[in-house]
Amino acid sequence: MAVAAVVVLAATAAGYGAVRTTHKTTTTATAQSKSFPLLKLSWEAPDYFDPALSYTVEGWEVLWNVYAGLLGYKHVNGADGGTVIPYLAAKMPTISNGGKLFKFTLRSNLKYSNGQAVKASDFKCTIERDYQMSSPGVGFFSSIQGATAYSKLKAAAMKKGNISGIVTNDSAGTIEIKLTHPEGDMLNILATEFAAFVPCGTPASDQSTHPTPATGPYEIVKYTPHQSFTLEKNPNFDAQIPGIPSGNAQKIVATIYTDNAQAAQSVASNHSDYDFLAIPTDRLGSYEQKYGKRIRIYTPADTFYFFLNQKYAPFNNIKAREAVDYAISRKQMVQLFGGLAVPTENILPPNYKAYKKITAFPVNGDMAKAKQLVAQSGTTGDSVTLWTPSVEPDQSIIEYEQSILNQLGYKTTLKVIDPQIYFSTIENQSTKAQTGYVDWYQDYPNPIDWFDVLFNGERITQTNNNDVGNTNVPSINKQIDKLKTKQPSAAVNAGWAKVDRELVTQDYAAAPYVTRSGTDFFSTRMNMGCYVFNVLYQWDFATACLK
Amino acid sequence: MSAREDQSIDFTLDTASELASAEHGPIEGKSPWTLAWRRLRRNYVALASLGVFLLVVVVCCLAPVYAHDVAHTGPNSVHLGETIKIHGKEVPVVSIGYMETIKGVVHFHAGGAPLGPQWGAAGGRYILGGDQLGRDTAVRILYGGLNSLRVGILSAAICIMMAVTLALLAGFYRGSVDWVISRFFDLVWAFPAILLAIALGAALSLNGIHWGPIHVSGGNIWIPTFVIAFVTVPYVGRPLRGQVLSLREKEFVEAARGQGASNVRIMFREILPNIASTVLVLFTLIVAGNILIEAGLSFLGAGVQPPNPSWGNLIADGEDRIQTAPWLAIVPGVAIVITAVSLNIFGDGLRDALDPRAKVRVGR
Repeated sequence: MAVAAVVVLAATAAGYGAVRTTHKTTTTATAQSKSFPLLKLSWEAPDYFDPALSYTVEGWEVLWNVYAGLLGYKHVNGADGGTVIPYLAAKMPTISNGGKLFKFTLRSNLKYSNGQAVKASDFKCTIERDYQMSSPGVGFFSSIQGATAYSKLKAAAMKKGNISGIVTNDSAGTIEIKLTHPEGDMLNILATEFAAFVPCGTPASDQSTHPTPATGPYEIVKYTPHQSFTLEKNPNFDAQIPGIPSGNAQKIVATIYTDNAQAAQSVASNHSDYDFLAIPTDRLGSYEQKYGKRIRIYTPADTFYFFLNQKYAPFNNIKAREAVDYAISRKQMVQLFGGLAVPTENILPPNYKAYKKITAFPVNGDMAKAKQLVAQSGTTGDSVTLWTPSVEPDQSIIEYEQSILNQLGYKTTLKVIDPQIYFSTIENQSTKAQTGYVDWYQDYPNPIDWFDVLFNGERITQTNNNDVGNTNVPSINKQIDKLKTKQPSAAVNAGWAKVDRELVTQDYAAAPYVTRSGTDFFSTRMNMGCYVFNVLYQWDFATACLK
Repeated sequence: MSAREDQSIDFTLDTASELASAEHGPIEGKSPWTLAWRRLRRNYVALASLGVFLLVVVVCCLAPVYAHDVAHTGPNSVHLGETIKIHGKEVPVVSIGYMETIKGVVHFHAGGAPLGPQWGAAGGRYILGGDQLGRDTAVRILYGGLNSLRVGILSAAICIMMAVTLALLAGFYRGSVDWVISRFFDLVWAFPAILLAIALGAALSLNGIHWGPIHVSGGNIWIPTFVIAFVTVPYVGRPLRGQVLSLREKEFVEAARGQGASNVRIMFREILPNIASTVLVLFTLIVAGNILIEAGLSFLGAGVQPPNPSWGNLIADGEDRIQTAPWLAIVPGVAIVITAVSLNIFGDGLRDALDPRAKVRVGR
């Protein structure tokens, strides 16, 4: 699980002297109950604000307090933040039939922000809407009876059809979910934003700029892409979900930045209360000296890697992929994050019980061996296009990869695109993206979320394809399919560790390089005693309070 | 009244022969170009500006020499994790940062800060410091200048060629030919040049150009070159068309036609020389403008594509570090200003020199 109990900050002797600051995180929020009128945020562009489509930290960290599903997570620090609790459901489900039948009962008198009653059938409509919109989350629901057949219908037929495995009763407020086979992570899946309720009748198109009614403590009242978004207290929330704080800020206004330096400066000068973006690496040392008490360093469960698309040359050649793993210096790449990262060769982050450290490649890279592998692959001189979002350090990371590929003898071109459309672009098969930037933060604390989502060839889709490298190894797919039906245990963890190792050292499916830490930077008026960092959704703005 | 009696006279082509006969020996006819050069020679500000521009060009052209012999690195060479010797001490090009866990406590040491300007302390390397990938900033600024000048000058040349051809066709043939070409000018002119350039540049730099046998990849420098040339064609074509319309009615054109000259010959042998001076002046001004457009496009990511440097994308990169390393953005910005201003001043001087109605007061 994520987050060390105590974090000590120190600056290098290279220019800034040494500063030691100790911050003790608490296991529960020590929020004052006093509300305040306005919270100002500096944010990064989300992909979407539609719960069916959003699949980035930038989106989910907002939507977590806006759209609720049957289940959710505790709003607390530490590993306990990964505990699933009932949200719209009155209690945890009854699981029967060998783990293939989940029964829920809705809380009574639930309302959306527009006053409309929350109905059991809204859950069915929500999941079917996900399929109608080719949501990136549909793969999570594939084990629901009738879901696969529903996914194959044409758009018009989908509107008339339904997913037979979801049975709802509005008057009783009950929801039954029937699975084709047991799913070890079904509770986590139902806690994702893809399962967050929207009313029946919500159009099956992106509603980001016309936000759907909310069930959480906040509702999105305005969103201007690339510019800003505004949240206000949901007038009908009324603490209807005990596990979610009601929120202290009456109104939240966020400005969207693409420039880390500007975002950091906005908080440093107290024009904004919180900086979502990472502090620029060249200012980390000086900011720690000046603003150390307002900065929190966190280590979420994440992995940064280069995807290597196996559908197209040169990376359809295993030796070419292996060459990339040997060529990169993971130790050097840590500098691109200002030191706020740890080299890794694993897909799973180190805070997982299933993690078993892989040390197959020299941490400083081995360019000679990599060149040998490229020569053996016969792909020298191939054209390679690298993809990156136009933000830092992403662009620098890919420029580094480009320099590596140039040394390996490839002819490279860089494509830099807006971060708001980056993932939807590279995840579209028609883009034919060969390699580029990917980062992955856990959706929920289970290896299924890594291997089944990112590397199971059976989940490859035409659009919103999370398996960007088109990894499709039948033996590994089989292992994943088997492991994901089981509840966590030592044997299951060993199985996941084996999958991790096979993907990295036998198939060279991707080139992981770091697990990154991040910074939460606050204005002077924010009370740091209220700081709650959730292992999945990061900083919980609903708990924010002032001094 | 003779020239000697009047203490100040208007020096025109008509009085040149009087002066020549009054001064020395036989009269020699001077071509308009010679006279223009004489006028230009006296405009010291214009010549100085030309000198500044040429100096910028020469310095940028020497970028490969500087990179190879002084800085010992290329413009895109990454030196992450490497060290250099400064005053006998090994210093990392990008400062080393890391995280370590000691007795369950995570310690963070900030790093990732690139080397600052070394001037001469590192034997010619990293004179203006480095960037986050350990690339030499001075080398990138010189190569950036090379790319910016290349795009600016080539796009101006292409623009002039296209505009002159279209203007000659439109002005000479008139009628439906003129109508079509003028509507093309109007259509392109209707879009603000910079916005049209951004839209075209962004789309083409992403996908490249793939028209029949023509294949240009998205990162190729010819993409912004052609885009800028295309959007600036009307700014040259329209004034030239007006001149061609006027010249078409002159007697020398009629005389040429009477002698049996073809239309193409008339356009290129009779009319074109008479608009050459205008073309020359416009060329210098368009080069300056195109360098600015290129800088703007590259700043916005629609021009020269990274990692290749240009002054515009270097300013964008430096923007992130404006507080800690302001020279990264300021130096390329100043370079753009010097280049554009010097070209504009020279262009003004050239226009004054080429205008046949210029009058120079000669005091005696």
